[in-house]
Parts: sequence; C-alpha cells; structure tokens
Amino acid sequence: MELQQKNPLKEFAPQLEQTSIQGYAWIIFLLAVIGLGVYAFLQQVFHGHEVTGMRDNVVWGVYIVNFIFFMGISYAGALISGTLHLFKTAWRKPVIRMAEFITVISLLIGPCFILLCIGRLDRLPYLVLFGRIQSPITWDVIAISTDIFGCFIFLYLAVLRDLATLRDYELLRLPNWRKKLYKTLALGYTGTPEQQQRLNRATDIMAAMVISIAIIVYSVLAWIFSVTLQPGWHSTIFGPYFVIAAVYSGSAVLILAMWVFRRVYHLEAYITKKHFVAVGVIMLVLAAFFGYFTFSDYLTKWYGSEKNDELLIQLLFKEFYWPFIISNYVGVLLPLLVVGIARFRTITNITLTAIVVVISLWLNRYIIVVPTLESPYLPIQDARPEWLNYSATWVEWSLTAAGVAVFCLLFTLASKFITIIPVSGIEGEEKKEDVLI
Amino acid sequence: MKRVFAFIAFFITMMSAALQPMNSFAENNSDSTNIPAESRLAITYLCGSDSVILTATLSIKKGDNTLALENAPIEFTASNGTICKLLGKAKTDQEGIAVVKVVSAGLPGDKDGMVAYVAKFAGTGKYPGAEASLNAKPAKIRLFFSIEDSLRILKVTATQKNEKGEEVAIPKETVLIYVPRLFSLLKIGEIALDETGTGTLEFPKEIVGDTLGNLVVVAKIEEHDKFGFVQGKNVINWGVHKQYYKAEVPSRELWTPIAPLWMIITLLVMLAGVWAHYMYAVYELVMIKRLSKKDKPLF
Amino acid sequence: MEEELNKNQKNSRRQFLKKGIIAGAGVAIGSGLIAAYVDATATETGEKVKVLTTDGEIMEVDKGLLKLPRVSREESHKGIPGRKFVMVIDLGKCKNARKCVEACQKGHHLPKSQEFMKVYLLQDSEKTSPYWFPKPCFHCDNPLCVSVCPVGATYKRSDGIVLIDNERCIGCKFCMTGCPYSTRVFAWKHYPEFDEDKEPYSPEAGSPGQEGTVSKCDFCPDLIRVGKIPYCASACPMGVIYFGDVDEDTVTNGTETFQFSKLISDRAGYRYLETLGTRPCVYYLPPVDRQFEVERGFGDLDPAIKERYKDTPYSKKNKQ
Repeated sequence: MELQQKNPLKEFAPQLEQTSIQGYAWIIFLLAVIGLGVYAFLQQVFHGHEVTGMRDNVVWGVYIVNFIFFMGISYAGALISGTLHLFKTAWRKPVIRMAEFITVISLLIGPCFILLCIGRLDRLPYLVLFGRIQSPITWDVIAISTDIFGCFIFLYLAVLRDLATLRDYELLRLPNWRKKLYKTLALGYTGTPEQQQRLNRATDIMAAMVISIAIIVYSVLAWIFSVTLQPGWHSTIFGPYFVIAAVYSGSAVLILAMWVFRRVYHLEAYITKKHFVAVGVIMLVLAAFFGYFTFSDYLTKWYGSEKNDELLIQLLFKEFYWPFIISNYVGVLLPLLVVGIARFRTITNITLTAIVVVISLWLNRYIIVVPTLESPYLPIQDARPEWLNYSATWVEWSLTAAGVAVFCLLFTLASKFITIIPVSGIEGEEKKEDVLI
Repeated sequence: MKRVFAFIAFFITMMSAALQPMNSFAENNSDSTNIPAESRLAITYLCGSDSVILTATLSIKKGDNTLALENAPIEFTASNGTICKLLGKAKTDQEGIAVVKVVSAGLPGDKDGMVAYVAKFAGTGKYPGAEASLNAKPAKIRLFFSIEDSLRILKVTATQKNEKGEEVAIPKETVLIYVPRLFSLLKIGEIALDETGTGTLEFPKEIVGDTLGNLVVVAKIEEHDKFGFVQGKNVINWGVHKQYYKAEVPSRELWTPIAPLWMIITLLVMLAGVWAHYMYAVYELVMIKRLSKKDKPLF
Repeated sequence: MEEELNKNQKNSRRQFLKKGIIAGAGVAIGSGLIAAYVDATATETGEKVKVLTTDGEIMEVDKGLLKLPRVSREESHKGIPGRKFVMVIDLGKCKNARKCVEACQKGHHLPKSQEFMKVYLLQDSEKTSPYWFPKPCFHCDNPLCVSVCPVGATYKRSDGIVLIDNERCIGCKFCMTGCPYSTRVFAWKHYPEFDEDKEPYSPEAGSPGQEGTVSKCDFCPDLIRVGKIPYCASACPMGVIYFGDVDEDTVTNGTETFQFSKLISDRAGYRYLETLGTRPCVYYLPPVDRQFEVERGFGDLDPAIKERYKDTPYSKKNKQ
C-alpha cells in the first residue's frame, strides 16, 4: 500500500502505455532489417553456405565474430549487474535494469549466430543426442544453456518487485491481458518482510551465480579457439582475455543504452552525468585491463617469433592494419583519455567513446578469428581469391544487421513491458531518497 | 632360346591393373557408338608345387578408351602340339580377370616337357574374339628350414622332371625369397642355386609374422625363359610376433568415444553446484508464492 | 630332422588358424585378400568368383564382394581387425604429376574444388631447396579433429584410420580449425559430382558426399578391404606413395615393397610438424637424390593449378 502511494510509476507509465509514431516507425524499420536477414538466411539454407564468404581455410567468419560479440555483451551485462547488486552500489538503480536486459537479450541472439555457422541445422539435436563431453562445443552448449537459465532467473528476481508494483497500480491504462500477465508474474508478492527476505536471499545468490557463470561461459568460448593448435589462438591467456574483452564491450553497450533511453524516454532527471561517469570509469578500468591482456598476448608472440606467429603478426600489420590499430590502440587509449581526463568527461564524449569501443571490440574479435585462419601452418596455395582471403558477403552482413535489429527490437519491447528504471525499492531497509538515483 | 614367355607375375598384373584403373562394363551392356572394338587378352602363369595357375586379363580397346570386360567366358587349354586338353573355363571379374587352377600332373608336355597354354575369348556379337598363349615347363621349388649353429637357415631346392619322369635338379638359377604381406610380397632375400639345384639363406631376424610369429615364406623363380614363374611355399614360426590391437578401444582419451573420468567429474561437480543454486532460487520464488496465499485471508 | 621341423610348422599353422578364427583375430596368414572380414556385412550375391592372393593361392570370393564393399556405419566404426595402417611419401620422387589428386577425386566422386590430397610447393627457408609436398590426411594417433568433434561424427578406428560419418556430421567445422594441417574440406553446396555415386553412403567410401558436412582423405578403407592400396598410391606414376600395415612392417607402392622400419631408418623418414604432438601415421622421406627438378612439377599443369604456386618463394624468385 505504501508502495502505491509513493509510486513513481506515475511518471513512467506513459512509457508503458503508449508508443509514439517515431516509436512505431522504429519498430517497422527494425522489422524490415530483420526481414532482410530472414531472406539472407533462406538464401543460405537453399543455396548452401557457398553464399557466404567462408571457404575451406576461413571456415568461420563474421558469424562467429558476432557470436563472440553478443555473448560478450551478455556476460558483461551479467557481470556488471551482478557486481553492482552484490556491492550494493548506491548509483546502480537507474542503470541496473538495462544491464539485466542486455544480458538476457544478447544471450538469446548470440547462439543464433553460431547456428548460422552450422552446415546441417537439421542435425542440431545430435548435439544433445550424441554429445561428446570432450568437445568444447559441448561445454559451450551446456554452459550457455545453464547461463540462459541463470540469467532469466536473475532477471525475474530483479523485476519481481516492479511486476508487483505494476499489478497494484490501478491507474495503468493497459489492456486487461497485460494486467493479468503482471498479476500472474508477480507471484502474489506483496512485500511482506518474509517475502522480502527470501527475495533478497535468492537475488544475492543468483547475482553471485551469474558472475561466476559469466566467467566460466566466456572462458569456454575462448577455449574453443585456444584448444586448437592454430597460431594466434593456441594461447593460455585467451580465457581471461576474452572475459575482460567481454565486460569491456558490455560496459560500452550499457553506456549506449543509457544514452538512448535517456533521450527517448526523457530520463534526464534519473540518468545523470554521474551515472555516465560511473559506468565510464568502469569502462576505463576495463580498457586498461584489455590493453594489458592484448599487449601481453601479442608481445610474447612477437618476441618469441615462432615462424607462424611471426607470419600472423606480419599479416596483422599488413592486411589487417586498420582493424588492428583501431581495436588495439584507439579502442584502448580513447577511453583512458576521455574518461581519464576530467575536462573531457561529458555525456556526449563518453557516449562517443563507447561507440568507438563497441566498434573496436567487434574488430578485435574479427582480427582474432580471421587472420589466424588465413595463416595456417601449411601455406594456403590456392588460385581462387575467395579461398585465399575472407571477405563477408551481403548474406553475412544482412544477418549481422538483423542480429543488431533483433537486439534493438527486443530491447524496445522489453522497455514497453517493464519500466527501464526500477520503480520499486530493491531492499526494504533502503532509504526512501535512495529509491531513485 | 628366344624369349618365349610373354607374361608377368600375377601380383604385378594385379598392381598394374590398379595402376591404370580401368572402368569395367558388363558384356551385355549395350552401347550405341559405332567405333570398332578391339579385344585384348593377356595370359600369365604361375607354377606352384603341384598345380598351375593361369590368369587371363581381357580388355576392350575402343577409340582411346581401354575398359576391362566383365562376365566374359574365357577358355583355358594346354597342348603339346598333338594333344589339346581343356583345362577349364572361367568368367572375367570387374577387372577383366579370369583365373583357373589346375593340377600339374597330367598336363600334356612335349619331349622337353614344355606345355603350351592358351587362353581364348570366343567373342560375342559385339566384341571380337581374342587369344593369348605362352609356353612353360612345370618345375618345383621346395623350402626347408633348419637351425644350424643357432643360425636360422632356409634351404631351397628347385627340380624339374626329365624325360623319364624323374625329378632332377635345376642348376644355377636365382631364387627370390618373399613373405606375403597384406597388399604385396615383401622380398627378404635372394638365393643363387648351385649345380645340385640347392641354395641356402640365413633367415633374417626382424621379419614380422602373425600374432604367433608364423610366417609364410615364398620362393620364386621369376621370368625364366623355360620355366616362367615357379613358386614354392612353406610355413615357419620364425617371425616376430605381430602386435595385436583389440578392435574395441576401452581407453579414455580426449579423442575416444568415452571421456576421461576427471573431465566427467569436473563437469558434473560444476553443473551440480550451479544448478543447486538455481534450484534454491526457484525454491525461494515458490515460497514467496506460498506466502502470498497464506496471507490472502488477511486482506 | 628337417622334415620333422617342417611338419611341426605345418601343425602350428593349423593350430594358429583355428585360434585365429576363435579369437576373431583375422590375421589371415598367407592371404593377401582380407575379404573374409567383410563376409558378414557386404551383400552376398551367392555367385563365387576365383581370385588370387598375394602368395598365389586361389580363393573363392563372393562376387558381391569384388565390388568395393560398403560396410554399414556401425561396422565402419570398428576398423579392420589386427591392422594399423601407415603411409610413407617419398619427396625425392614427387614431380607434381597430380595423378594422386585426380585418382582420389574420381574414386571419391569429388568436385574439382575438393581435394583430399593436396600438393604443396614448400620451401622451409630462404636458402633451402624447394620441394613438392603431397599431403593426405595424416590420420594422427592423437587426432585433435576427433577430440573437438561435438557429436562423434569423426572418429579414430582400431586400425588407425580417422574417418568421418557424413550422416552424423553437423557441419560446425570445428574439426577444420582443430586440424593443424588444413586437411579437411567442407561441402559448401551440393556438388553435382556427389550424384555420380549411386551406391548407399558408407563412411568407409566417403561417398556420396553431403552438403554442409566435412570430409577428408580416408586412406580408402573400402579398397583396403579388397586388398588394394589407396587410389593415390596406386595412381602415382612415380611410385611416390607407399602404403601398408605398420605392424606388418611393410609398405608398398604397388610395384616396390619395402620393410617399413628399414625404409624409415635408411632414408631418414620423418613426420611433418612432429612438434605439434599429433603423432601422424604418415611419414615423409626427405627430398634427397631427386629424380626430377622442381621445375618439372610445372610441366603441363592446368593454368589454374599453376596459378596456385605463384606466391611461393620459389616462383617469386624465378620471376625475378
């Protein structure tokens, strides 16, 4: 009852109740991009994987890059929201829901990209029916499905109070089915002390769980590469390196989401510069770690200069010069400068930096995957240019765009279902002024 | 003596056939092209201790293509100029090869003991007939094993029959010693026969036999003007025991069907740990739901 | 005395044969043909054909077995009992005639774009001599490709052969990145050559190929079952490729037969990239006492094939 009276939901209700024309146009645009992706996918199904730029040497291309990228964002969401929750960071409230959404949504999209790599989708059940425990792909199947479960439980625990608030807020102008849905999902949570206690306990445990699973899952993903003997992949540092890169990219995506929702839903009062700087500092720390890992990885390869490592580094500095410079220099140094120097720390600057970081992290995965496959132990001796060098086709780019579109669409729809900023107190003992901001 | 034998050893035939993989086609195949077909027949011969093996290879040359003819009947005969004896009939296989094995006793030989062997393909409506022949005198190679001064000795004798039907030595010939392998014969030595048609060889030590160390040893006179290919065989357990792999591999390796135990244990421990916590969280949710039902009458 | 000894040998052979049969060891002594192993699985036509064994014994074999046997998928997992196959490639004799590639493609019904056997032009360092390097699958004893397969579609058999079951393969291509020798090929679409093969699929034949799955050199177990060496080995005009059972210590290229251990020790045989620890079953004899100049390998090559070697250090040097 108390919740209802002091309900800040009044302010957020329009976000759930109505969609503007621009909003509809945005959704239609996203659907169109997804439609193109569906068309590209059908091309691939009916004409074989030949429609992609992948060939016998570069057997994995943009799809696997997207897979790593989306999984990375997801684990980042889990790590950030989990950590912020566990450490009861004061400023977390306006951004934590976004981080949770990022986790779950990108976790649904990521695996779709690895499915696009698979030659025989009709045999997908074999992964379960004939799974071999020794294969890192089996580890990945187990780990990702475990992670999806965990993240859904964590998200559900996190939104339960809001669902109860939405159920109890009678002024909400929403169709009946929505109200019924809120009622069912709210599980009859009324905020009794015992309910609160149980909810807090479960949330704490799940926050710890999603953090540890995020680390395991992203390491498993890295091991898909590092268990092979390929030069450039066969590295012990890959597990932690991938985890750091993932969280790093995720922090940047979180900043982008903050900026977008701040603008679209006019949340200037709630998401302030303070939040941008706070997440920006997380990004800065991660940038430093990321730069450190990248440097150690390439330094040892360069210094030891094993024949194939040397060839790989030559390739990186020749054919992949710009992606290499952007991802490993610009992508590392820019956040250090922009967030590090107080004068540059504006919302716009931090957001622009986040865009650069997202792009450079995507490129980072690209130059991890493709150049290694282009420089195997036995030199590629082939007359066909597409066999020598990988370049993604329109099919792969369309599906990549579709992946981003699905991400945006699901994020949009999620923000229409639950407020993008938690409207109810997270801890019962929390002070009222802490509820917002 | 002029070279009267136009043959090659059977295993060479086999391998040369494999070298130029020929497409076979059944004799009853219909083909519409009007290029005249040319039949080619080759005959090879191998004289064993008491039998003779004749092999005929039939191929059809049509334009630039040479194809083995399958299912074609081949007739084998032996003669000494006066008597002609039918040895047998055989049909060609996919590689155009037909084989017969006949007992060497009773083969019609001339006064030198030479037998003329003929393989004949009568021809069918589509393909012309063909014939191949060779002359050879039956001979015999025997192998004996003995241990002298702790050395393993292989002794070989070669004999032929004289006009009276008595076995007499074949002097001063070279005998090649082989052991049969999966795909071919492995040469392990050569013996030069003396005047008495006898020769010895110290048997090599490191030849692998079967799993019990048994070895088949083959001694051969090859491409002889008079005797053609003659072969003798014997068995001895002088081989190194062959390593035997069990068909089922019970080991637990990264590449075997069954995973290493530590891997399964690690995985199970991790999964159990994580899912137990999930279960706990779900349990708490169920409890929250229950609490609300308990509370209901109060409202 | 001598006779006694020989008699004993005969007895022991007989005993062995009995034991062999009981144990199912199938070490068919004195028989080059191992057709006896496929009796149970190949379709028997009832019509018998006489064939010769390597030591000149006549054996009656069912006519159906003379066709290359296509054993069932279950059977193809087992391997030919009592065998462990090995290949030896003599680099001193290779002149890039490419007959191995062509015979292999024909035998496996492969399109031109899929090569189970690839011929590289290698040069280990600037001042060392270039050489032609035919590369089949190495059928490693520690096969990383098999380790990483998530569904057991690729497997190593008791006879050492690493096979792919194209009806199990999901096409994730992990094995292709796992193999450090770029051995595996992927069917990027349904190639018309796949339709040439009308027989039912068997992993041992590796044919007909299937879109969206991985395939590779298979050591031709279907040929081995009828006592023949793989397509590449028998097709090579120079006799570069030797094949055999390593436990029998013998390899043959069809015309010459060598004792494997002696060949390797006399000619300093080695395995490619030994340091990777994959333990290949393919050995190379170093390119010494060349029979041909490297240049001969460019002889009458298809221009498209010639184009492949244009970026090799050797070709670049020649251009200057």
